[in-house]
Amino acid sequence: MKRYCLMDVGSTFTKGCWVDTDHVGVLAWASAPTTASSDINEGIQNVLNKLKTIYPDFNYESMRLCSSAKGGLRMVAIGLVEDLTLKAARMACANAGAKLVGAYSHKINLQELKEIEHLKPDIILLSGGTDGGNEEVVLHNAKQLAKLNTALPILYAGNKSCQDEIQQILNEAKHDVRISANVMPTYGVLNVESARDQIRACFLEQIIEAKGLSALSTIVQDIIMPTPASVLDALSLLAYGTKDEKGLGDLMAVDVGGATTDVYSLTSNQAAPSGVQIKGLIEPLAKRSVEGDLGLRISAKHVLDLDSELHENEDLCRYVDRITQEIHGTSNSSFDIRLASSCVKIASRRHAGRLEQIYTPMGLETIQYGKDLRTVKTLIGIGGPIVYADEPSLILSQVKQTEADILLPQSLEFILDKQYVLSCLGLLAKTDPEWTLKTMKHHLEKING
Amino acid sequence: METVVIGVIGADVHAVGNRIIEYALKQAGFNVVNLGVMVSQQEFLDAVIETNAKAVIVSSLYGHGELDCRGMGDRFIEAGYGHVLLYIGGNLVIGKTDFSEVEVKFKAMGFHRVFPPNSDINEGIERLKEDLLKS
Repeated sequence: MKRYCLMDVGSTFTKGCWVDTDHVGVLAWASAPTTASSDINEGIQNVLNKLKTIYPDFNYESMRLCSSAKGGLRMVAIGLVEDLTLKAARMACANAGAKLVGAYSHKINLQELKEIEHLKPDIILLSGGTDGGNEEVVLHNAKQLAKLNTALPILYAGNKSCQDEIQQILNEAKHDVRISANVMPTYGVLNVESARDQIRACFLEQIIEAKGLSALSTIVQDIIMPTPASVLDALSLLAYGTKDEKGLGDLMAVDVGGATTDVYSLTSNQAAPSGVQIKGLIEPLAKRSVEGDLGLRISAKHVLDLDSELHENEDLCRYVDRITQEIHGTSNSSFDIRLASSCVKIASRRHAGRLEQIYTPMGLETIQYGKDLRTVKTLIGIGGPIVYADEPSLILSQVKQTEADILLPQSLEFILDKQYVLSCLGLLAKTDPEWTLKTMKHHLEKING
Repeated sequence: METVVIGVIGADVHAVGNRIIEYALKQAGFNVVNLGVMVSQQEFLDAVIETNAKAVIVSSLYGHGELDCRGMGDRFIEAGYGHVLLYIGGNLVIGKTDFSEVEVKFKAMGFHRVFPPNSDINEGIERLKEDLLKS
């Protein structure tokens, strides 16, 4: 038997789950506002106090935590060609649970270097060149990064042939240099796992301190990771299952927040239907994409710009004007549903693959870019705006395929993470997969589509 | 081991000859990046940039090579990769045009060598080795 306290420190709320791995299911939940000031410990302590008050026998052997507080994990990705190593670097960042705040391709210039300095990312991912491929550009970029005024964690995940030289350049500039396997070791082959693991390790060692979370190390014994990384671990387990406990099979999940919309897809097959040519990088089976311009509060104005139908509704425009000024002001649930629907519709279309048909001298040919999600049957709604909506199925149904060339699911069953268990349970996905999977199945709720 | 990028350009889906080229190049000790069929000029260039390839072998079987390859040499020069060897072979034009005319046309587009139908791949590889030594 092992008792854990699992914490999800969000930007507005800190949520805590108390679990005992001898019993399927969560023993207790509590939440408290995240303390936005210098230290988030207060919010965590408040959650612990609540649990102690409600359950006098509350005790645990280990505490684990995921956090998206203080902007989450903010990263800059640098690659060589936009559609190749930069795209691979972007995917590595997203799969590690980061939010990309800047992306640069080819040789970076001094203006771009200033931009990076201004963005103050938590980690820079530097990639470029296949193994044995281009060295010139990535060496140039390392020399440019060496000129940064502030020392930053830099993860090198590019051409292995110049790894030693790059490590030396960045070490001499006093940056915290980490090395992982190349995100695109050979042409068209994506390899994000090693970079993802390094990003998570860096988050644990460095970022926590930088974000004023260092006092946590006294109460959190082992795992600390970005919240989306924990969610991705939970969803992978839920989809693929374990040796003894079957998963739900291929699935998708959406999470709409105030500033961003996350889309996850967990699939088991990458083969193209016969007669279809696949182009571009082969995307990972477990993929996360995060849209920094789609959200219900901070980025709500941009949602209006992208959705002309919403833009014509004057009342809705006035509402958006107000809520972007006063983020914690009174919300209007029907307007929020319309905004959330729009976020989910756009974000899922950016996430999914697409088909392109070309008339050739040999007849009609079809090309596929990205992931084919048409046979996915399950969609999970995560996060307050979906879970607490009067009609969550209205928002979730936006993921269904409506255009023949966009490879979204054709029919879907909807599941809600009503009790916010996914982010917390993801923290145990690798330690105790059987128990975690059973507990997730126990708490997730099917709704009518 | 030098890297060579190969593929079938344009909307052409003839895959077999390109596979044979891949096999022969690998046998000859090259590192081969095979982009497959329906490859655009930009995809050839992107692959060269990332992999630091020293040569590109373009195949075209369906007779529209002239349209597909127009500006290819200039595109490589503009991107700073004018030093990369560009080879092309296959049924490059429709009809019975004299091959010497075809060769002139494709060399004007920036290709360093142009191969007629039924060329021997091993002879082509010998030319490639010679050209790489010179470049």
